[in-house]
Amino acid sequence: MFRATFTICTRGIATRLISSISGESTLPSNLRLPANLIGAPRQKAALPTGSELPVLRTCDADIPAHLAPVQTWLHSLKSDESEPLGVVELHPDVFSVPVRLDILHAVEVWQRNFKRISHAKVKSRAEVRGGGRKPWKQKGSGRARHGSIRSPIWRGGGVAHGPRGPTSYYYMLPMKVRVQGLKIALTAKLAQDYLHVIDSLEIPTPDPRYLEELVKHRQWGDSVLIVDVGEEFSPNILQATANLKTVNIIPAIGLNVHSMLKHESLVLTLEAVKFLEKKLLWHDCRFTALYPFKLPYSDMP
Amino acid sequence: MSVLGSLLNTGLSLWRSSLQLCTTHLHTGACLRVRMHAIPPLKQVDRWTEKRSMFGIYDNIGILGDFKAHPKELIKGPEWLRGFRGNEYQRLIRKKRMVGDRMMTEDKLVLEKRLRFLYRRFNRYGKHR
Repeated sequence: MFRATFTICTRGIATRLISSISGESTLPSNLRLPANLIGAPRQKAALPTGSELPVLRTCDADIPAHLAPVQTWLHSLKSDESEPLGVVELHPDVFSVPVRLDILHAVEVWQRNFKRISHAKVKSRAEVRGGGRKPWKQKGSGRARHGSIRSPIWRGGGVAHGPRGPTSYYYMLPMKVRVQGLKIALTAKLAQDYLHVIDSLEIPTPDPRYLEELVKHRQWGDSVLIVDVGEEFSPNILQATANLKTVNIIPAIGLNVHSMLKHESLVLTLEAVKFLEKKLLWHDCRFTALYPFKLPYSDMP
Repeated sequence: MSVLGSLLNTGLSLWRSSLQLCTTHLHTGACLRVRMHAIPPLKQVDRWTEKRSMFGIYDNIGILGDFKAHPKELIKGPEWLRGFRGNEYQRLIRKKRMVGDRMMTEDKLVLEKRLRFLYRRFNRYGKHR
């Protein structure tokens, strides 16, 4: 027994020594990725600086002199091949802002809480049925003094300091913080190579498998959020995404930070990019509201 | 017959022994213990149901939709709580003003009793008056 353990120990030490001397790889074996791993790390697509493909879109709004437009590839859903159609320029004040994670967090917390209504409610000692009579006399019985059988220290009594009735957790973040949250989420998605721009939502078949294969082939991650401007989508893409749980399609008005963070990648059409830039850039140059924005202004965008 | 009898006998004795065991354990408190041979499996939650994947959509309806609607109009719940936050007293006052005329007699009495209590509590007791 002792001999066996001794030999094992010596063998282990010897192999460790040999491995440390030879130094065949920098990473230890438990941290090295096997070659046949299924969920292989995705490669980041190369940035389109200095490519020969044409610039198919430039920003409508003026770009400040000290900033340069952000460039990304323009893809298409029409065919399976991953060759980009061209290059699009995105406005740096929307797609390349300083990523303030605290703002992102504040917006996410706001989204979770402002519409929350908690229905937790318990009865107080005044609402529990009965308990009006003094259970026994104040003096002489040898028992502790009590005035009601529904007092909070009784079993079956009311609850002291319990949740009371439907409670609302509504609050609003300042509008500029919410806008900044949207910009930061878009920036972060672009920086992580999870924001893709496509020309249109046309797909050749209404088959969900085609879309699944496309997403897998282009390494768009586990879940995809497709955003377009109009409320009406072409029937092909609607039918394809209807039964796919992790591929969702929403109009650009419905875009929000929570959905962007929940879905791994974000796919914008060219019109959606234009729409978002127009709506989000207006807040950089607008004046403070004199009266609510829902009332008519002469210079609304 | 004899075979059946013996079977019955063994069954009876087994039952008796199990009863004995149970009674003995009852006194030690072991029979009532929840039997657990492994950690219970984790609850399987589908994170991609329609409700979950569409959570938060249209929360920026004011910013992106020309301020024609406000996100507080998306809140579902009692009408006196939509887009309002306050303590219990403020909530009950708002409820009484908005739906008080439609409430049943007993509910209204309970509401008014609570309002009376809270008025006294907030205005006569406590540090932050």
